[in-house]
Amino acid sequence: MFQANIVRHELRRSLKSAWWWALGIASVHLIYLPFFRTFADNAAVLEKSLKQFPKAFLEAFGMGRISMATVLGFYTLIFLLVQILLAIQAARYGVALISREESERTADFLMTKPVSRLAIINSKLAAALTALLATQAVLWLVAFAGWAVFNAGHGYDQGRLALILSSALPFQLFFLSVGLALSQMVRLVRNPTPYALGLGLGMYALSAFNHMAGEIKLEWLTPFQYFDPATLALNGYEAHFLALDLAVVGVALALGYWRYLHRDIPTVT
Amino acid sequence: MKPIYLYELRSNLKSLLIWTGVVALLVVVALAKFEGYRNSPELLQIMESMPKALLDAFGMRAFNLTTLEGFYGVMAVYDYLMGAIAAAMWGANTIAKEEYNRTADFTLVLPLPRTRILTAKALAALTTGAAFVLLTWGISLIGAQRYHPTPAFYAFLRLEMAGMCFIALLSWALGMAFACLWKRPRQAASAAMIVVLAAYILSTVQALDQRLDFLKWFTPFKYFDAGDLYRHSALNGVYVTLTLVITLVLVAASYTAYSRRDIAL
Amino acid sequence: MNIIETQDLTKYYGQVRGIEGITLSVKEGEIFGFIGPNGAGKTTTIRTLLGLLFPTRGSARIFGKDVVRHGPEIRRDIGYLPSEVFFYEGMKIRDLLHYAAGFYPGDHTQRIQELTAYMELDVNRRVDELSYGNKKKVGIVLGLLHRPKLLFLDEPTLGLDPLMQRRFFDLIQRENRENGVTVFFSSHILSEVQRLCNRVAIIREGHIVEVSDIRALQQNSYKKVTVIAPDLTPDSFQLPGVADLRVEDGSLRFYFKGDINQVLRRLAALQVQDVTIEDPTLEEIFMHYYA
Repeated sequence: MFQANIVRHELRRSLKSAWWWALGIASVHLIYLPFFRTFADNAAVLEKSLKQFPKAFLEAFGMGRISMATVLGFYTLIFLLVQILLAIQAARYGVALISREESERTADFLMTKPVSRLAIINSKLAAALTALLATQAVLWLVAFAGWAVFNAGHGYDQGRLALILSSALPFQLFFLSVGLALSQMVRLVRNPTPYALGLGLGMYALSAFNHMAGEIKLEWLTPFQYFDPATLALNGYEAHFLALDLAVVGVALALGYWRYLHRDIPTVT
Repeated sequence: MKPIYLYELRSNLKSLLIWTGVVALLVVVALAKFEGYRNSPELLQIMESMPKALLDAFGMRAFNLTTLEGFYGVMAVYDYLMGAIAAAMWGANTIAKEEYNRTADFTLVLPLPRTRILTAKALAALTTGAAFVLLTWGISLIGAQRYHPTPAFYAFLRLEMAGMCFIALLSWALGMAFACLWKRPRQAASAAMIVVLAAYILSTVQALDQRLDFLKWFTPFKYFDAGDLYRHSALNGVYVTLTLVITLVLVAASYTAYSRRDIAL
Repeated sequence: MNIIETQDLTKYYGQVRGIEGITLSVKEGEIFGFIGPNGAGKTTTIRTLLGLLFPTRGSARIFGKDVVRHGPEIRRDIGYLPSEVFFYEGMKIRDLLHYAAGFYPGDHTQRIQELTAYMELDVNRRVDELSYGNKKKVGIVLGLLHRPKLLFLDEPTLGLDPLMQRRFFDLIQRENRENGVTVFFSSHILSEVQRLCNRVAIIREGHIVEVSDIRALQQNSYKKVTVIAPDLTPDSFQLPGVADLRVEDGSLRFYFKGDINQVLRRLAALQVQDVTIEDPTLEEIFMHYYA
């Protein structure tokens, strides 16, 4: 159930914005990577001092789990910032997916055409997903190319880097689908930006605090924890978090679809 | 002018409540975390043995996380970030929404000079931003009560909130400038947001290497760095002046541009 | 055959009434007028029929198919001109028309050319730079480019200059006459409804007040009577069926519904200077319904 011309139309619009997001992601890499060399030298001192403490203790505080003197360790710093951008991008696409037609008053144009709502949402989702994948392709490219240039003689496990990068897909799916569900729960989204920022940065803030040890655990609330860069670099995916992520995606999509297929389209004045 | 001001204030109320809710949530979460840090000598030892570069990367330099001041110091950057984003959004949308909601033709033909309409709207956004800072302050104080804060804590929190206030002020002016200068009204808030986020990313980059120290001039998040506030127990006069000057320039540019702006239909 | 058929169609927005108990049918090939003041529920009715809103109660069928279940199928043969048209920012008219045409099977290039030429549109212009009237023209082309069998017009002439209005009416009448297009014409401007429509429904506060043949509405129900005579008093025409009686400067004016001979008998008893008995305009009938 797809409508080819909607896919084309949406793709043309979303690829234009995907290009800017990709540019942002590339800039973060280009700003950070040149400092790996000096940072690695400094961090060598750190290694020594950290060794004095019991490992379990350090891990509890989310520090010193991975050495910043290594390529993958340093990359966790970069990837966290990249995740913020990926989160906001995906959330924005999700929130705006349907609501954009309403806030820009084109919903009546589109929905009086002989297409089912199912075909509309499928096509738009396919286009948004393509734009996200295009962004991720750029991410893979700059990550691998960047490290080839700036590795400062340090070797690294390329498979592990690929694994970290691959997490971008389930990570963005979370924000895309939750954003979509969110947009369909309110009557009318006039401007998707606050919603996208709230979702993306809110999840980031939750995760930032979870990095510190404490009484309550919040890791099951935020995809920044499902796909924590340091954990990915050290241990790979955690099966239960990946499953949880996909479950949330499934539920959010179901909710978004169900609402869209059954709701009144508001007129905007 | 007064009705416009009141109307805008009322229409910002909902988002103010949402942002306040987010701050409250953050404080609750952070304080729950603080339980694990409080009075932990082992942690103190670790922190002290860590190289500065690493602590910088985590934004924890100069903070003793086992004390309330230290903990609130770490939270500062999130307060700043939220203050900046919320204020930029209000600054931009209060003005720009007239155009993308197509009500501009109604408002701008009222028998008032444009500059006064702009003043009413800008003041409404500013009031909302100020209310947000005050609410954040209040929530932070309430959250801290359980731990019997010292006078030093109150003094530090006051500095931190002053920092948040200045950052919000700057972001408000930024948002306003985008709404007045940017051609596409719908994008004004997003564009302002990109600048805020870029400044934040710049502030994290700045910590990476000493040679990047000069970057601090380009990101207001560093002007009011909570670590500096903690060390010096005072705002840095140079940065405060710089903030006010930039704000003034942005506001002046906004007024000039808006009075000549072609209003989109 | 009925093209549109609604049965107790009702739409509430939460607690707020949109339309209530709308039952009407539109026959194939007719131009059906739908009149009522702003906020009466005209647009709600159309948007429900188009599947943009889901009815709270009741049902509607177009081409014999339920509008909720068979929306996409039905919409293949429907054209819609909304009262205010909005398009995607940054697109050229040509691209927009092309995009819209892509939803309907077949090639519509030539039809688009004919219509844009007829409406005097420059397809290279960007849609967000268009004036209100020009947007409306694009809307007209969009509504007709796929040769629909049923056309919904919601306040279509709003923003068109008189010359273009005329062209537009000619176009609609031609579509109706030559291609048998059924037209559902919603408006609050009666003169245009009067000019175009065969039958009208009058909607008020969400309810259908009356459905009637346009001529029947004008001829059979009320006559407008004006009498000029000396010594007139309002009592001169105290009859059942007289409404809105007014005396002005020695002339007496009223509307009458019933056996006209009764009026003639009263007139014969008077020494009249002048008398006119005419069909009221739709405007006047309309005022009566909303009085």
